[in-house]
Amino acid sequence: MFETVQEVRAALAAQKYIATDEIATVLFLAEKLGKPLLAEGPAGVGKTELSKAWSAVTGRELVRLQCYEGLDESKALYEWEYAKQMLYTQLLRDKLADLLSGAGSLSAAADRLAQEEDVFFSDRFLLPRPLLRAINSDAPTVLLIDEIDRADAEFEAFLLEVLSDFQVSIPEIGTIVAKQQPVVFLTSNNTRELSEALKRRCLYLYIDYPTLDEELQIVQLKVPDLAPQLARQAVETVQMLRQLDLKKNPSVSETLDWARALVTLNASTLDPDVLDNTLTVLLKYEADVERARRMLSRQQGGNGHGRPYR
Amino acid sequence: MEDRIVRFIAALRASGVRVSVAESQDAWRAIEALGVGDRERFRLSLRATLVKDADALPTFEELFPLYFGRGTPPLLDPQAELTPEQQQMLREALQELMQQIAADLQKLLDWLLNGGGPTQQDLEDLSAQAGLDDFPSMSPAAARRAARRMQRLLGWDQLGDLLDQLWEALAEAGMDPETIEALQGQVAENQARLEEQLGDFAGQTLRDNAVEDAPRHKPLNDLMDRPFGSLSPADMDVLREQVRRLAARLRSRAALRQKRGARGKLDPKATLRANLRYSGVPFEIHYRQRRLKPKIVALLDVSTSMRPVAEFFLRLLYELQDQVQKTRSFAYIDHLEEVTPDLLTARIDEAVIAVLTRLPPGHYNTDLGASLRQFEARHLDAVDHRTTVIVLGDGRNNFNDPAADTLGRVSRRARKLIWMNPEYPAQWGTGDSDMPVYAPLCSDVYQVRNLAQLADAIDRILV
Repeated sequence: MFETVQEVRAALAAQKYIATDEIATVLFLAEKLGKPLLAEGPAGVGKTELSKAWSAVTGRELVRLQCYEGLDESKALYEWEYAKQMLYTQLLRDKLADLLSGAGSLSAAADRLAQEEDVFFSDRFLLPRPLLRAINSDAPTVLLIDEIDRADAEFEAFLLEVLSDFQVSIPEIGTIVAKQQPVVFLTSNNTRELSEALKRRCLYLYIDYPTLDEELQIVQLKVPDLAPQLARQAVETVQMLRQLDLKKNPSVSETLDWARALVTLNASTLDPDVLDNTLTVLLKYEADVERARRMLSRQQGGNGHGRPYR
Repeated sequence: MEDRIVRFIAALRASGVRVSVAESQDAWRAIEALGVGDRERFRLSLRATLVKDADALPTFEELFPLYFGRGTPPLLDPQAELTPEQQQMLREALQELMQQIAADLQKLLDWLLNGGGPTQQDLEDLSAQAGLDDFPSMSPAAARRAARRMQRLLGWDQLGDLLDQLWEALAEAGMDPETIEALQGQVAENQARLEEQLGDFAGQTLRDNAVEDAPRHKPLNDLMDRPFGSLSPADMDVLREQVRRLAARLRSRAALRQKRGARGKLDPKATLRANLRYSGVPFEIHYRQRRLKPKIVALLDVSTSMRPVAEFFLRLLYELQDQVQKTRSFAYIDHLEEVTPDLLTARIDEAVIAVLTRLPPGHYNTDLGASLRQFEARHLDAVDHRTTVIVLGDGRNNFNDPAADTLGRVSRRARKLIWMNPEYPAQWGTGDSDMPVYAPLCSDVYQVRNLAQLADAIDRILV
């Protein structure tokens, strides 16, 4: 579908996703080799956003599986719809009586019933969860397995079959092979080490905080209402905050929130008042806010415009 | 090219990056898809397929230029812009100079002024002369040393004088100053590029040698039994890896044991659901799964006497915190500080360094008693009947009040109190050690001097 890396990059840009050369290359490879893409990096650098943009680019449905501790097969893959099965059994009771009425012996009746067994363990009563939905879909999909590091190690092992062969086994029905191979994105915030086996099956992409120019580009694209001069100041401030030893660094999405806040407040410069009021959009710990305030006021002592010295 | 990629992968493995056969296959497929024409794309396709760990990325970046060049352009040809007469002048001046100097230096001068550059054969001869095969290490510093040695063999040190002579001779022969200046610039550029080429070659040769010599497996069992304090940095790396594996294994083992262990209460919901297919006749009984949710509170002594092993224990706590969500970690010397957030937010190396610098070792200032009282006053809510409290320390208290009653209260409140001491039991109670006071208050006391003992002790914590 895409023949060159540049095309991938341009298509993502059209969806307002600024991809570095690395992101575009790895994504291109994932598509070409039919391999899952494992994106790691700090929170809020656009790992999840990448899969959303890719689903928009390719026009494929995005199937999302959010991982959490205790996630198991019945929530990720499929579950039998017991209530529906019960209901059908009750409603079809007369029909079943008809079916069995002609049988001479008990075993003959059981045989007849056995022939109809498939009715109750069929797709009809299968409640597909995200993984099965992605595999069973007639149109190709984008499967996003978000924050895989939150799921248990056992679930990771269970994913291996899905990721390497794109098939799942359901004991009552058999193995379901993907009609269309989905593009799989896995994201991880690196809160724990993933297993070697899982990593081996994926292409690896480490997304770090963007550089000043990249981030400025992102802000200008996503928040076009912000004046260019102010946008640059804001991004410079954020980049500087990331140099501090903070508990939680401001992420790209927080930069965008901040930029939107500045637009809403109609700010024209980053003066101390504006900073004071909006810093909490950027920083989520009281200690971090204090620290940033101290640093910024020190710098503002110099030129009074909140513009950091370079 | 193929051979080079294979050697590159081998070098990655030798530097401790895990690359499986499946991954190297992926790398080949990726190269097929993107080609080798664009150097940057080529680098990215190798990186995405071979390196799956953010920690290993620097190793990759360090090795890549050694095998595929920095993209350094070949040497310039300084004579390209000279007129025929000027070329003649240069040749004559060179000839005169060449007669006075050694063969190696002649070669060097020739490369710099004619833009040829050394061939692969030249480089290999040079490295053989420089004895690169006998270099013991493959560190960047060793590579620089090796490159320097190759330069010396070429007569690099005399080059400055020689070039000065050349410029003088050219000026005498009547070449105009601007041309000479341009020539000087180009030769200086060539010198820099040649230096870089030699550096890359030396680095790559040392790597290749190291790959050939690398022992396949480190003697692990030996490491398991060696005390933490006496380990070299390389041993530490192996140990770190082991701790990580150990923690992961312990967790799955604990889960398995719990599954096989005593069953809990009847789970009516799950039983009803499971037996719908038997029209409600309970053939399959389901029990409520008892979820193992261990809570751990760890107190770590980072005082001077414990420093050699403190880093190691901190790494252990970091991994433990990864595996067991409800872990709270405290470090103490003369007072107690909670280090849970440090271990939670930062990456492992930064976290360890952060904690160790925040609590610098003092001179005979350990006060476990005060730290314990502080713990009781401020953090006792962390301990409940499900909590396992682990104290990692030598119990050396500088003759301060041991505050045994406080530890007793903590112990009664907790599910278990476990003490891990790196000292030999024979040393407990000697000097300022308060171990005999503390030991009776603990559910278990272990001597943990090495990894084998540690594995043993942790195994029992998670039960």
